[in-house]
Amino acid sequence: MTKIPTILTDRLVLREPEPQDFEAYAAFMADARSVMNGGPLDRPAAWGSFAREIGHWTLRGYGLMTLVDKASGAIAGQVGFWNPEGWLEVELGWRVFEGFEGKGLAFEAAVAVRDFAYDTLAWRPLISVIGPENDRSLRLAKRLGARLERDDWQTPAGKPALIYRHPSAGALANAREEAHA
Amino acid sequence: MTDIPVIETTRLSLRGPEPEDYPDFKATFTSYRARFMGGPLNAYEAWMLYAAEIGHWQIRGYGMWMIHDRQTDETYGMAGGWKPAKWPEPEIAWVIWPDRNGKGYALEATHAVRDYLYAQCGWDTAVSYIDPKNLDSIRLAERLGAVKDHEAATIDGNDAVYRHPTSEALSGTQLAHGIEMEIGHYADPLFKPKGWALD
Repeated sequence: MTKIPTILTDRLVLREPEPQDFEAYAAFMADARSVMNGGPLDRPAAWGSFAREIGHWTLRGYGLMTLVDKASGAIAGQVGFWNPEGWLEVELGWRVFEGFEGKGLAFEAAVAVRDFAYDTLAWRPLISVIGPENDRSLRLAKRLGARLERDDWQTPAGKPALIYRHPSAGALANAREEAHA
Repeated sequence: MTDIPVIETTRLSLRGPEPEDYPDFKATFTSYRARFMGGPLNAYEAWMLYAAEIGHWQIRGYGMWMIHDRQTDETYGMAGGWKPAKWPEPEIAWVIWPDRNGKGYALEATHAVRDYLYAQCGWDTAVSYIDPKNLDSIRLAERLGAVKDHEAATIDGNDAVYRHPTSEALSGTQLAHGIEMEIGHYADPLFKPKGWALD
């Protein structure tokens, strides 16, 4: 299994989650805004969810990465891969914590991990699983070039979800060439 | 990452939960056997619980060991320290796969992990939270010297709290000798346990 290394972008360090990330995670999950991202969860429920996200790394070799804001050292959110048993296929997912929204950080991180998945892991086109009312995430999926593929799936926990399909590595390379032409 | 220690006993090798052990875990936790442990779970819930068992090790520095046969490496169940967020105190917990019970594996594994948690993890007391209908587990708790603690906080009021003997009470005492003798009997190939397993 390829272990995913720490990834650097212009403004972020993307690394495997560590136990000390829990406070920022619990604060985000306690907030009503996390309703689109698996929340809201009280602190005990957030602890269980956080433990599962760490275990996901051992079971799959990949998972959700913690985004560290280079400038402040603060935890800005999470971006990465999610694929528990019962999921459709590997998902590219993201959460942006309070105070770090609206800066394009999730876009920056998602592009970086998607490039890693395509270029280093040679993965096929990824999906993103998004709640139908999560306007912010739907906008980000579209900005990433993903297209709605199906609207009839429910998560194993019974939540309705839209499945967006990301462009392939080849399609992204072509788009980049065109942008430079 | 916490490096999960390996504990060796007469018949068993206790190691951290590994991805290749998941099918055995899933088989038990999706079965009726899991009825006293929040189950039976569906496949998604079982996978998530297994992931949580691994994450628990990273966050707490201790957790549930996978019980392997020292000779064949096959798995028999799990035993270890367990303290998810809602637990009032750290717990010593165990589960034996339904087709592996009646051989004393839980006793042997739990006795060893309790020693480890006391000696290496600084625990000075420990409880086990047990469904009052789970007679097999209550019997095991009592063989381990645990006593029902009526004063201790429960998880949600639906569980009985068994308080384990302290490290001092297990050091060179009749209780400890009794447990070790019983494990020795189980480990003896000529030993045939009386009666049969309840489930």
